[in-house]
Amino acid sequence: MVGALSLYAPGTSPLHRLPASTKLLGLLIGGLVVTVPRPDALLLGIAAAGVVALYLVARLGLAELGRQIWGVRWIIAVVLVGQLIFLPWHVAALTSTRMLLAILLAALVTLTTRASDILEAIERGLAPLRRFGLRTERIALVLGMAIRAVPIVIDLASEVRDAQRARGVGGSITAMVVLLLVGALRHADDVADALAARGMDDDEEPVMLEGSVRPRGASRLRLRR
Amino acid sequence: MSESRPFSLSLSDLTRIAVFAALVAALGLAGAVSLFGNAVPITLQTLGVMLAGTILGAWRGAISMTVLLALVAVGLPLLSGGRGGFGVFLGPSAGYLLGWVAGAAVIGLIAAPRRGARPRAWRVLVACLVGGIGVVYLIGVPVQSLVTGVPLAETALLSLAFVPGDLVKAVLATLITSAVAKAYPAAFGGRRAASSPAEPSISSSTTAS
Repeated sequence: MVGALSLYAPGTSPLHRLPASTKLLGLLIGGLVVTVPRPDALLLGIAAAGVVALYLVARLGLAELGRQIWGVRWIIAVVLVGQLIFLPWHVAALTSTRMLLAILLAALVTLTTRASDILEAIERGLAPLRRFGLRTERIALVLGMAIRAVPIVIDLASEVRDAQRARGVGGSITAMVVLLLVGALRHADDVADALAARGMDDDEEPVMLEGSVRPRGASRLRLRR
Repeated sequence: MSESRPFSLSLSDLTRIAVFAALVAALGLAGAVSLFGNAVPITLQTLGVMLAGTILGAWRGAISMTVLLALVAVGLPLLSGGRGGFGVFLGPSAGYLLGWVAGAAVIGLIAAPRRGARPRAWRVLVACLVGGIGVVYLIGVPVQSLVTGVPLAETALLSLAFVPGDLVKAVLATLITSAVAKAYPAAFGGRRAASSPAEPSISSSTTAS
C-alpha cells in the first residue's frame, strides 16, 4: 500500500541496492557539507557535479533530475524573490543553489529507497531507546496505521464533498471539515474497537493487522440531520 | 497522567493519532482554497494542525504531527501540493513543519488543560492564535532565515503575507472544534464509552452549516 503512494522510483542501480541506513547517513553528511559552510561558488560547483553524477549512477537520468528541479520551482521562485529584495544578487543565487542541492540530494534518497525500508531503518535506529521504556513496536504500529488511514480519509473527504454537493450546500469549509472530522474520529474509534475485539489489549504487545476496517462514518453521516 | 508509566496511550489514542496524521495529509491534498477572491490562496493543512491540538490534546496532537512528519520524511507525498521526502526538511519551510509539532502541543495545553473536558470557545481561539500561529512562526521564521540567508527581521516581514490566512484558519478551527464537540461528544472523552448522551453541551452556539 505504501508503494502506490510513495515517491520511490524502482530500480536496481548501486544506489538502490545500498542499505537505507547507509543512504540516510550519507544524506546527513552530504546535507551538512552543502549547507553549513558559507556559500561558495567552487564548493557548490563541485557539489552540483556530485549530485548530477549520483543521479546518473542511480540510473535516474537527467530527465528525472529536471523533473525534481521543476517540482520545487515555486519554492525556489518564492525564496529568490525574498532574497533579491534584501540580499545582493550573487549571494541570493548561491544560497538558493545551496538549498536546491540539499533538496535534490534528499530527493535522491527518497527516489532510490522504499518507504518500508526507511521505516525499518528508523525502527532499528530507535531500538536502543527500548531500554528507557520506549515501546518501539508501537511506533511502527502507529506509522503503519497512519499510512493505511491516508487513502481511507481521502475517500471519506470525497464522500463528504459529494454529499454536501448533493444537498446543494457546497460552499461551507466549516461544515465539510466538521463532517470529515466526525467521520475520521468515528473510524479511528471503530478500528480501536475492532483491535480490542480481536484481543489486542491496551497494554499487550500489538499484533499487526492486515486489511483495514471500512470507514462507515460517511454513509451514516448522510442520514443524520 | 498519574499512571505508573509517565505517559501511556490506549488503543483508541493510537488509532486517533494515526487517523489525524492522515487527516492533515488529506487536507493538503484537497488543494489550495482561495479566500477573499483569489488574493490569498491557502491550504487547509495548518487548519488540521490546529484541530489536532484542540481535539487530540497536547501530547497526542504533537505525536500525531510527528507521525505525519515521519511519513513525509520516509518519502510519502503527504504535504500540500504532493510534496514529501527528506528534501522538505532542508528547504525553507522546514521550521514551520517542525513548528507543527510544538504548535499542536501548545494548542492542546491551552485549549484543554485537563483531559476529557469540553473545550471552551475562547480558550480554543486563544490556543489556535498562540500555538497555531505564534509558536509555528517562532520556529518557522528563524529556520527560513537560516536556509534562505535573508536576515531575520526581513524574513519575518515576508512571512506576514501568510498571517491573514492563518487568522482565518484559527477562527475556522474554533468554530469546527465547537461543532465537533456537539456532533461527536466522544471526541473529547477519550473513548466512546466514556461519553454519556445525557451530558449537556456547553459549547457555543455554532452549528455545522
